[in-house]
Amino acid sequence: MIYKVSYVVVGRPHLGSIVNLDTPPRVGDRVQLGDELFEVTEVTDLIPPRGEFAYLHVTCQPVQDEM
Amino acid sequence: MSVIELLQRSELFSRLTSEQIEQIAALGREAVYNAGDLIIRAGDPSDELYVIRSGMVEVLVSGGRIPDVSGPPQLTSLVRLGQGQLFGEMALVDSGVRSATVRCVEDGTVLYVIPRQAFWTLCDGDHHIGYVVMRNIAADLSFKLRHRNLQARLEGAGGTP
Repeated sequence: MIYKVSYVVVGRPHLGSIVNLDTPPRVGDRVQLGDELFEVTEVTDLIPPRGEFAYLHVTCQPVQDEM
Repeated sequence: MSVIELLQRSELFSRLTSEQIEQIAALGREAVYNAGDLIIRAGDPSDELYVIRSGMVEVLVSGGRIPDVSGPPQLTSLVRLGQGQLFGEMALVDSGVRSATVRCVEDGTVLYVIPRQAFWTLCDGDHHIGYVVMRNIAADLSFKLRHRNLQARLEGAGGTP
């Protein structure tokens, strides 16, 4: 299965991204979009799978600095 | 990843046979860009379709709703596209001029470039390829529109200040 993922960022201005992945993203995952790091906060099916493609919508937020 | 594997993993060519994908792969060429390179420019004539083999690009239009995104002052970024995504498909469908500017945002971004006319000649000779690809283009444009709708909804809700 190929996962076509729509990333939308909350909490700051960001373009979002669309990429194909081999494995589905999960809540808590960290993802690099361009040169910035984000944490996945929600994963939902955007539309039903078609053929070998699954279509996911991911909401993510900037990773907070860790002490 | 070979070109064949790239195209097999691109939604545009989903549900085509390996032989059909090999025919498409034979039409194109690779091109490499670095961050900041303009790949296509809005308003220019269009005669090629692009599949992202690796790296990332940014789609920009004149005006828009995100005021503080970096880039040329007259352009606003809409979305970033990564591996497996395609762009230039609108012109493939309607033969119009480029609707957006696309700029490379990662050094060494590799694209697979397919000439429109050669591609349509292939589709004219094999209507199954044409049917499948047109359906896949529609699905891809629909996905991008859904992405934009979700982004706009979050902006409207205050998710993106």
